[in-house]
Amino acid sequence: MNWTELLSDEGIRLRILLIGMLLVFLGLGTVFWNIQVVRQTEFQSTQNRQTVRGVRLPGPRGRLWDRHGTLLAGNRPSYGIAIYVGELRQPGSASNTLNKIEQALDTVSRHVGLPRQITRDEIAVHVRKRRPLPLVAWSDIDARAMARLAEMPNPPPGVDIVAEPVRYYPTPTLAPHVLGYVGRLDPDDDSYDYYLPDMEGRAGMELTLNKRLSGEAGGRLLQVDASGFTHREQSTRNPRPGEDVVLTLDAQIQRLVEAGLTGERGACVVLDPRNGDVLAMASSPAFLITDLRDVKRYAALATDPGSPFLNRALGSAYPPGSIFKPLVAFAALENNRITADDLIDCPGYYALGTMRIRCWRTTGHGPVAMRKAIEQSCNTYFCQLGTQCGYSRIYHMAEAAGFGRRTGIELPGEARGLLPDAEWKQRVQRDGWRAGDTANISIGQGYLLATPLQMAMFAATIANGGHVYRPRLVADHKQGELINDMAWSPQTLAVVRGGMLDVVESPVGTGKRVKLEDVHVAGKTGSAEYGPRDKRRKYAWMIVFAPVESPRYALAMVLEDAVSGGMSTAPRMRDLLAGIFALEQALPPDGPAGGRG
Amino acid sequence: MSLRHQFQLGLRMNWLLTAAVLALITIGVMFIYSATFAREDGPSHSLYQRQIIWAMAGLTAYVGFAVTDYRRLRRLSWAGYALGLGLLVLVLVIGKEIYGAKRWLMIGSVGVQPSELAKVAVIFVLARRLSVPGENLGHMRPLFNVLSIVAVPFLLIMKEPDLGSSLVLLPVTLAMLFVAGLPFRFVGALALSGLAMATLVLAILFLPQAIGMTEAHQQTIMRTVGLSAYHRDRLMVFVDADRDPLGAGWNKRQSEIAVGSGGLTGKGFLNGTQNMLGFLPRSVSSTDFIFSVVAEEKGFMGSATILGLFSVILMCGIRIALAAPDKFGRLLCTGIVTMLFVHGFINTAMTVGLVPITGIPLPLLSYGGSFMVIVMAALGIVQSVHIRSQRAGLSFEQGVLGYAV
Repeated sequence: MNWTELLSDEGIRLRILLIGMLLVFLGLGTVFWNIQVVRQTEFQSTQNRQTVRGVRLPGPRGRLWDRHGTLLAGNRPSYGIAIYVGELRQPGSASNTLNKIEQALDTVSRHVGLPRQITRDEIAVHVRKRRPLPLVAWSDIDARAMARLAEMPNPPPGVDIVAEPVRYYPTPTLAPHVLGYVGRLDPDDDSYDYYLPDMEGRAGMELTLNKRLSGEAGGRLLQVDASGFTHREQSTRNPRPGEDVVLTLDAQIQRLVEAGLTGERGACVVLDPRNGDVLAMASSPAFLITDLRDVKRYAALATDPGSPFLNRALGSAYPPGSIFKPLVAFAALENNRITADDLIDCPGYYALGTMRIRCWRTTGHGPVAMRKAIEQSCNTYFCQLGTQCGYSRIYHMAEAAGFGRRTGIELPGEARGLLPDAEWKQRVQRDGWRAGDTANISIGQGYLLATPLQMAMFAATIANGGHVYRPRLVADHKQGELINDMAWSPQTLAVVRGGMLDVVESPVGTGKRVKLEDVHVAGKTGSAEYGPRDKRRKYAWMIVFAPVESPRYALAMVLEDAVSGGMSTAPRMRDLLAGIFALEQALPPDGPAGGRG
Repeated sequence: MSLRHQFQLGLRMNWLLTAAVLALITIGVMFIYSATFAREDGPSHSLYQRQIIWAMAGLTAYVGFAVTDYRRLRRLSWAGYALGLGLLVLVLVIGKEIYGAKRWLMIGSVGVQPSELAKVAVIFVLARRLSVPGENLGHMRPLFNVLSIVAVPFLLIMKEPDLGSSLVLLPVTLAMLFVAGLPFRFVGALALSGLAMATLVLAILFLPQAIGMTEAHQQTIMRTVGLSAYHRDRLMVFVDADRDPLGAGWNKRQSEIAVGSGGLTGKGFLNGTQNMLGFLPRSVSSTDFIFSVVAEEKGFMGSATILGLFSVILMCGIRIALAAPDKFGRLLCTGIVTMLFVHGFINTAMTVGLVPITGIPLPLLSYGGSFMVIVMAALGIVQSVHIRSQRAGLSFEQGVLGYAV
């Protein structure tokens, strides 16, 4: 075979190929002619009579329980009247379909006696964007409206009752900041195609646990005729319910804590020092979770100067005041900068150069040692101790105990607090670190800031002998998550705990108003001044742990704008502790930590 | 080569082909606009704008490859093939999984399907392999050689799984072998063995079920030959759309209604009810089902126009192949034209249920960046062959007009 022959051969083959391809296209064109022109009416009527109804089977959201099996968040059914838009579809322009839907809505509205709630524009949006989904025209209707609809003699096609789950909080006052709330995915979010948006956590644990709690909606296709009669079920995709989650919260303790904060601005956290379980967390003023469904109430809450949506327990950082003193004691004792028996004289003030830091007892405490200084919360002692110890030791101890960084609890919106250092001061205050700064921080003043949750974690660390457990709301393991081990010596612990026990048990202790009859409680009060000096406004703090012999509770409470820790916070703390131990009496002996779910 | 020279080269392209290409791209942009019109506040509002940008990128590639001598690309064939295979392996490892298939490599936010590049790479390698002078395709051995070149990417693409894309390779290979001079008896044998293989695949997918094996056993059998339940289920939907009426079956049915209700002249631009009311799912109406949108809104006139424009591209492409200065160019054109034909056929035929629904885009019309650029580059190569075939007979003109070489 020579070259020319081959070429002509290729030419023939190429032409055969082209003719073959063109014939296929011609055949395809014939098919289109047949479908589009010859059978056009058939398809058009299919389109008009297409009455396959996509019914949504909701995947219920997982429930939230407290540690003893009290329901904190569940679901209840709500009934609505829905229009299946597809069944009312009209040929021609989209406005024909909209007219037909509006007609159907008006008919139902007259018969059922409910005023129309959705506008033509909303219908248009639904038709454009969510055509296969039922358009819920009236939601949460009552039994009477349902009966009227059922008795309607000639219901327009495509109208039916739909049930959808609504999030339900049995006690809407309980732990709103911790539980959070849910919302529907914004219909303008373009992230779904076929199914109605599910509920979605917007705040608190509802947000954190959204993935676990979320169910997955299923669907069912039904072939229905014009009167809504189901002829055939075509297919079902089963819904998947969300996962139930048990929180570490104790609903009864939570209730006590919330009652204790009523009328105040402040926060309180109750931890189990053995593992970091958050038994209760409250912030005041609070809100009702159900208020969020009411636009007016929501607006009022959002503009309230008391910021009720703010979870002060972890979202606000305050100067801790004297409750920081035990930390300074640890720093000094553990680094051998002082012994428990060394005396420091308190003349009523601490003098540093020309500056004087006053002790709260202006007449002075005289010569005091560590345990007495904690009991009396002597400013002079701790200013002296702090300067003697040096700031870097205090800083490292505080950092190890979790000050100045988020605890990493599961809730969003946690504040970091502030544990300043020289670098920070230079950057923010444009000034060097001075001895006065150290003295100030040694009594919990100055630039130092801590959240109530951090302080509760600190109390828990003292209570359990130096284990810093990450506070948690979901206990997937019995063992707590250890952030740090402080490795405090037993001697040091004994001195600091002894001082804290005296705070409560000594007749002259600053926290004597906490004393209980039958349980030994240890604690520390604190009052941090803020605002202009003449206003004398104070954050009144108290941290406690109890029972002292084997602590099961560690608490921190702060009240904004109060007299002092000993006067304002201690009595509330006492009532709270009395309540908690009274609950324990009523419970099985195994106590709160063992009684999950 | 100077810029001016390149410009003059470019002017000698086949303008009919360019016109058909531009017309198809314009129609594509218009109906992507229509397909996404209904969700004006959605993120895909600007989809048609992005398609315009991709079209610009595509045109750049088109002109760039047109003025480049395709023979200079010949040496790069194997490198391109190796790159294609490498990307196909890579996509199996780090590809983004969408609906159970790993087809996309993500470069930033832009997705690239390596199978698209691989198709063109295979065409290049085949064209090079089959244009070796003295190659005798009348023997089994070279034929086997050629088939194994195709088999590797074929299996890799099937593994993703993207059965549709991998099957595109078969008619392309067959057409190139045919034009390269494969004896008719081999053409017949290949077609027959293809048929036999299809039967075998169907048997593996459906026979175990028919004789009542458990699902686990069925899957084991499918896995041993590299198939999966995914393939079986997709084919089942083709046979019986009610099997998955919420998923693929839904698309098929709605697409058929969309095309069928279009009539002779259609419902008018932006007036297709199937499209505007979202019966055609938004996720596919601008990509794989763009033809349904055209067919609904412009009726038979619309579908005929698109088929006509594709026919123009086929005719131009084959004419260029006929006049190509060498066998390599001729085979390149054959492969590229066949690829476009297969894509066009499968995509339009699936909208009316003639072939199973596969994720095969309609060249030049479907929304999609990387595919647009690759198709345009391939068409640019066809133009390059055209320009070079003219140069062969232009030595006199060259002398007169003083073209520098």
